[in-house]
Amino acid sequence: MSIVELKNVNTIYEGEKFPTIEDINLHIEREDFACIMGPNGSGKTTLLETVNGLLTPHEGKVTVFGENIENNGKDIRKKIGYLLQNFSFDPTKSFLVKDVVMMGRTGKIGVLNTVKDSDWDFVYDCMELVEVENFADKPIGKLSGGEQQKVMLARALAQEPDILILDEPFTNLDYRAKKEFKKLIKKIYEKKDLTIIMVTHSLDSVPEESSKLVLMDRGKVVLQGRPDEVINSEKWKSVYGLKPEDNND
Amino acid sequence: MIELPSTFIITVLIGATLAGLACSLIGTFIVQMDLTSIGFSMSHAAFAGAALGLLLSINPTITAIGFALLVALLLGPISEKAKLSPGVIIGISFPISMALAFIFINLQPTAATSEALNLLWGNLYSLTSADLAYLAILSVSIILIITVFKKEYLSILFDKKMAKASGINTKPFYFSILFLTGLTVAVTLKFIGGLLVYALIVNTAASAYQFTYDINKIFILSPIIGIICSLSGVWMSLQFNTPIGTSIVIMTAIAFTLSVIFSRKRGTGEGVIPLHN
Repeated sequence: MSIVELKNVNTIYEGEKFPTIEDINLHIEREDFACIMGPNGSGKTTLLETVNGLLTPHEGKVTVFGENIENNGKDIRKKIGYLLQNFSFDPTKSFLVKDVVMMGRTGKIGVLNTVKDSDWDFVYDCMELVEVENFADKPIGKLSGGEQQKVMLARALAQEPDILILDEPFTNLDYRAKKEFKKLIKKIYEKKDLTIIMVTHSLDSVPEESSKLVLMDRGKVVLQGRPDEVINSEKWKSVYGLKPEDNND
Repeated sequence: MIELPSTFIITVLIGATLAGLACSLIGTFIVQMDLTSIGFSMSHAAFAGAALGLLLSINPTITAIGFALLVALLLGPISEKAKLSPGVIIGISFPISMALAFIFINLQPTAATSEALNLLWGNLYSLTSADLAYLAILSVSIILIITVFKKEYLSILFDKKMAKASGINTKPFYFSILFLTGLTVAVTLKFIGGLLVYALIVNTAASAYQFTYDINKIFILSPIIGIICSLSGVWMSLQFNTPIGTSIVIMTAIAFTLSVIFSRKRGTGEGVIPLHN
């Protein structure tokens, strides 16, 4: 059974007439590393937010872990780590790194339950895994963009997720930070037996481990399959009007 | 200085302590979540509600709560969904609230007008034992709620969308913040005054945010500043016979000015109020 399944999904933003994503049919299997690509405005983030249940589809059905996300979104989301797109924190933001990472664990701990020492141990393990343990007592806003990105990844991992959603994780990172972050994602994928769904803009961000590439255009999934199949397809050329090698940043 | 019976002084000091505590704790949410416009609108709606209560001979605290919560119920979802800017929210709600308040005051018999005007500036002498009980219940409730649901509130304070994405049911917590703000404004209205109560909420918390990056410490520092401002406001009011509301506002303004001057964040050139997430 697929871990994520979308059947004929249309998502319309409130106040809009036309769907941002339309007639989406998608299957993602357990421990897949699925990459979603497409031009700006093709509906990639909307698709991720629909998978996570942050957006409710106007039509169709989204099933995650075999359950309809509309029926049990809150509990399903506890098992999905989500790295949101384009965040950057004000330098004055009054939150320490360790507290931010602990927030990822809030849903898992549950309402009315208190934070235990074992939760803090897990939070420190996550910070160690993404190499931010030295920043534990620093304010989040004082870190660089790349470091903040790592902290948010640690926060997502603190949830102990089965699925990790990464929305353009390399945006705003310089070459070195991007390379480091890519290595980190690979390490986590290998170590944690996760299913990863990642939106990315450039082909060089698609890792070797990627088992599936989903190509979107104007709100529709126009092609999905093994990355090499998708990249070498005629559809790819027509969507980007480019050869695959031209698409690297 | 005015000579007053000691029981009155004790009542006022307890009232000021509780009002400072409740307002500044709520302020930590209002400032960090950039809810200042909704809170500002609620405090003026509460003032209009209290004026209506006086006109209809109903307990003004009850009608103030009703009006404040009505505004929270209307503006909370509207500002979330329509993504209205804070300026627009204030621009629409402030004149309506004030117009209603002055209509209600204008309709009062002359004898009741001074009582209605007390709602604007606040009145030390208006504090009854029932008001004190309301303030105590409110303060204890806020402390209990924050303590029990601290980890959920911290997640929402940090980023509401991220909190929702990680499986937290954000709506009840978000609306509880608006609800508690409405209650706090309404219960402290008679004592501090509808025009000025908001300064005790925002200025004290904004001062606390200047000193530390640790949100846990802000939840301790903010009430300390709130209580000091309240008590020093009472002292100023009794010493110089100034209205209690204005006295407290001046103290909160001094506290904020000092906090900016001596801010740890200011030292690194970043001493601004963290109004945006």
